[in-house]
Amino acid sequence: MRKIWLIATTTYRRRIRSGMFLFLTFGLPVLMVIAGAVPFIRARGGDLPAVGYVDQTGRLAPVTQVPVEDATLALTAYPDIGAAQTAFQQGEIAGYLVIPDGYFQGQPAAFYAEEEPGGKLQVALIAFMRRAMLPDEPAWILDRLADPSNLTYVARDSGEEITAGPAVAVRFAVPAVLALVFAIAVFTGAGQMGSAMVREKEQRSMEMIITSLAPRELVAGKVLGMTLLSLTQVGVWAIGGGIAFVLAFSSVVDVQTLSIPWEALTWGLLLGMPGYFLYAVLASGLGVMAGDSQQAQQLAGVLGMLGMAPLYLMGLLINAPDGPLAVGLTMFPLTAPMIGLFRMALVEVPTWQLIASLAILVASLVGSIWLVARIFRAAMLMYGQALRPRQLLQALREV
Amino acid sequence: MTQSTYALEVHDISKTYATVRAVDNLSFEVHKGEIFGLLGPNGAGKTTSIRMILDIIKPDAGQISVLGGPMTEATKSRIGYLPEERGLYEDMTLLDTLLFLGQLKDLTRQTARARAEAYLREVELWDARDLKIEALSRGMNQKAQFVAATMHEPDLIIVDEPFSGLDPVNTRIIKNLLYRMRDRGAAIMMSTHQMHQVEEMCQRILLIDHGSRVLYGPLDEIRRQFASNAVEVDLRGELGHVPGVERLVSRNGGYRLLLQDGVQPEQLLRTLVNMPEITVERFERVETSLDEIFVRVVGRKVANEEGTA
Repeated sequence: MRKIWLIATTTYRRRIRSGMFLFLTFGLPVLMVIAGAVPFIRARGGDLPAVGYVDQTGRLAPVTQVPVEDATLALTAYPDIGAAQTAFQQGEIAGYLVIPDGYFQGQPAAFYAEEEPGGKLQVALIAFMRRAMLPDEPAWILDRLADPSNLTYVARDSGEEITAGPAVAVRFAVPAVLALVFAIAVFTGAGQMGSAMVREKEQRSMEMIITSLAPRELVAGKVLGMTLLSLTQVGVWAIGGGIAFVLAFSSVVDVQTLSIPWEALTWGLLLGMPGYFLYAVLASGLGVMAGDSQQAQQLAGVLGMLGMAPLYLMGLLINAPDGPLAVGLTMFPLTAPMIGLFRMALVEVPTWQLIASLAILVASLVGSIWLVARIFRAAMLMYGQALRPRQLLQALREV
Repeated sequence: MTQSTYALEVHDISKTYATVRAVDNLSFEVHKGEIFGLLGPNGAGKTTSIRMILDIIKPDAGQISVLGGPMTEATKSRIGYLPEERGLYEDMTLLDTLLFLGQLKDLTRQTARARAEAYLREVELWDARDLKIEALSRGMNQKAQFVAATMHEPDLIIVDEPFSGLDPVNTRIIKNLLYRMRDRGAAIMMSTHQMHQVEEMCQRILLIDHGSRVLYGPLDEIRRQFASNAVEVDLRGELGHVPGVERLVSRNGGYRLLLQDGVQPEQLLRTLVNMPEITVERFERVETSLDEIFVRVVGRKVANEEGTA
């Protein structure tokens, strides 16, 4: 175990220092955070500009000031659109709201301005409408009207409480997102694993290393190191994505009310980790069988496509999430993590199926390490050459 | 129970790749505390044999006993191997590489560091310790590989072309390290095409060709076996007909005399000393070099094969 860990940490340290890895790992989340921060800054940033309004219904109370958080929206009423337009052109106001005659029959109000109003101004305009419609009501009623009922949904079968509104969507989205994260991790991780192995072969370092430990220890160490690397990458992406999500939706969703779907996360981890290891082991085997980096990339690409296969079957799975195909793919080790998680997003998957799926997955992982260790012995010294089928069979037969 | 004097025992090992018999019923032993030469032309099966000894590939038949038994994971830490195909991680620094490989051989990190530092100083690579492997010259890389293969002070050392790419000074450094390891009791198996190094360093040799044993045993015996019945003499005076000499060749101011069958050099020396017209200044039996033996044995096989083809 000590040698496996030594191989893993050395692999991890060598790879994490590469410029390409650092760029891919940290560049993407920075972009995500920037993208998420734009609406956040727009919603939070700046003072509220003075605006005008034209009440064509004649039924709204005159309002000249609306307090919003730490700022106050100043409003000027205009008798008609022409007057508001003139004030706007003269720069007296940043925009004007027109409440049409048929507003109370469902006709929408319109805001005219140079650009789309920021989130804070939008909140202030809604607060203005509430105040103008109900001028005599106390502030707490107006506040409550902004969110009249934090509905709590309770699952009839399990009694599980699901908090209101967007949280419901989040609850069902988590398994699907986890499945997608798994697919991305497999796709990128398999490619990295395959090219790492062939590079090892090209550098001709294996012959020296393999005289210090068993091939299975080398395979396990490499896979562990590369997995830690992928986890780092996916972890950084997840943190970046999470920050971007919170920044982008903090003005729309109260993040604190979102419930964490622990069951999906637990099974995501239980199926995802051995599932990822399985792909990594197989990718390492393909990598060492390949003759060069290009061939390794191609082989890893095929494996990665296999990992993404459940995505192509989504239509069938959504129509029959408990059908034989879905259950069969839950048991098949290469599709188990993704299909299991997708089904959890759609239906209540029987626990026995998840346990059986996990057992098959772990057994397949052990078998694949044994298999790849044998291939390793035969293929690692064939510098610049791919392993032929006959040599592969001979390697598997050797004691 | 007496302890075996062998560090390595190889019995009748064979390996076939597709239709090619790479190694064919090969047997030999390597003693503790000796430098043993493994010789053979390119493609003779040397590297395949070494890989079978190291358990990198499995023999189709035969047994191998390494340091008193079959190869185990514990045994691997008592073996040092400098492969023909050099390769260290190019993106790692020299010191980190040695720490990594030393720990793989069961040294603690502290011991690996101490050994690495001592060896780097000894092979004059201390100043390059923080350089990446890719920045090292060929000779530096060769010395780095050698240190990586031997810093755990193994009991069996297998080195394939250990002097490749080294200048005479660095060759001397590595040679001295090998002598020291031998004197410590380690068995050293050296595969090389540099016959003069084998002549200087090895006590016994194995010459293989087409996977089979061609010559095996103490180097002195083999050289005697191939010694030509000839002497070289330097003398004053003119040498005419000499009884017992089949052929006389003048060279470099002296003579090479090829003796008739059954004539011993001692008899010839007596004859020459008794010839009044000459004065013998130097008399030396001609020894056959290992290089000549190699060419003669391997060349003869090639000629035989071409004849039967």
